[in-house]
Amino acid sequence: MTSTLKTIRGKAENLLAGGLADGVLCLGRDRFNVVQPRLFHKAEEVGSLEIEPKWNLAKLAMQTLRSAEKSFRLTVVCRGCDERALLELVKRNQIDASRMTTLSYTCGREQAEACLCPRPYPENPAAGEKIEGVDPFGDPRFASLLAGDDQERMARWTGLLSRCLKCYGCRNACPICVCTPCKLEDDLWVERSAVPAEMIPYHLIRAFHLSDTCVACGACQDACPVGIPLLALQLVMRRSLREKYGYEAGLEADRKSPLLMDFEHASPAGFALPAWTVSSEAPHER
Amino acid sequence: MNVQGIVDKTTRGTPRVLVFACRWCALVGADAVGRGRADLPASFRVIPVECAAMVEPDSVLRALASGADGVAVMGCHLGGCRFNDANHVALKRMEALGDLLDAVGIGRRRLLLSFGTAHEGRQFAEVLGAFFRELEPLPSLAAWRKTLLNQPSFR
Repeated sequence: MTSTLKTIRGKAENLLAGGLADGVLCLGRDRFNVVQPRLFHKAEEVGSLEIEPKWNLAKLAMQTLRSAEKSFRLTVVCRGCDERALLELVKRNQIDASRMTTLSYTCGREQAEACLCPRPYPENPAAGEKIEGVDPFGDPRFASLLAGDDQERMARWTGLLSRCLKCYGCRNACPICVCTPCKLEDDLWVERSAVPAEMIPYHLIRAFHLSDTCVACGACQDACPVGIPLLALQLVMRRSLREKYGYEAGLEADRKSPLLMDFEHASPAGFALPAWTVSSEAPHER
Repeated sequence: MNVQGIVDKTTRGTPRVLVFACRWCALVGADAVGRGRADLPASFRVIPVECAAMVEPDSVLRALASGADGVAVMGCHLGGCRFNDANHVALKRMEALGDLLDAVGIGRRRLLLSFGTAHEGRQFAEVLGAFFRELEPLPSLAAWRKTLLNQPSFR
């Protein structure tokens, strides 16, 4: 048993025994030796609590809180990415922050490299040591997805996305994709019978909807049964917001997405119109 | 509003362009330049919208998927929006969308964002003309994707 797991089990036990939480949401090993998400109610059950493999629980936490009584206080055992996803859900009024606490732990080197995670740790970890992250844009696997001119990229992404089975796994696994009704189920936007899913409406609408909320947890990519590197599109959007507005989803609780605000409140000083917009700053006609 | 119908049935010739024009500025300008018999390309259609900010990037994507080769979003000058800062928001969203289009190879060249006021009809003609000249050498989006999908390596 790793020391991280030991610490987490100890703290979860204390929380439940001391009555500080009514439930702890985490992975648990059941009597068939299968690890799956579980809601712990009693301190004595905590011996079967697990933290591996990576499994994002933010959406489950939201659903648990929705279906529970108003007085129910939940503690979520989570990784850095999960904690950021929870923060985004709180920002979007999907979770009442006063009813939820987190028990967060850091990821190991191996996990960070598998996820290409630049920040494999939560803000204030309850267990584990913070390690340095991986820069996804320096990774050859990632760079090869975005290399080349339009022609090559189009051929590559058309190929990758044509594998899609349209299982909606990417949407369902995403901790932040919570709208009802969903545009991806609406014939006006996405032809429902089309398989593989049409690239532009299905995949690009999905990617764009998450542009300012995605915390790059990689749940979409992990869920994809045909291995489409969906995270690459999200990382591009995240980089775009970081470079232009210094905004990163999941970090600042009191900052709204810059895509919802004007330039004066969310732009570096002296921001000019991007060169690619066309505007008539020319002298007006008389 | 059925984007598919508008692109499929009414736009003749290539490249096919769908214009979302804000009804307070760009649309008035477009009307004026039409009345003025300016030299305009034939294969575009205009959808009047209340504000450029109500054009969701989803609509742009839907139009591109429905056979448009390019999409133009036109609004008022920054600072001149009827809805205060709404066109700032439009600009930011479209810029983010441009990054996504670039990433998958569609290219932000197929998306035009332009700001002008109601009396700048001539600008509407110029901007649209330049957009068409940029789109003409590019392959038709729908046909291009079809060819790619039919390649044996992708099946």
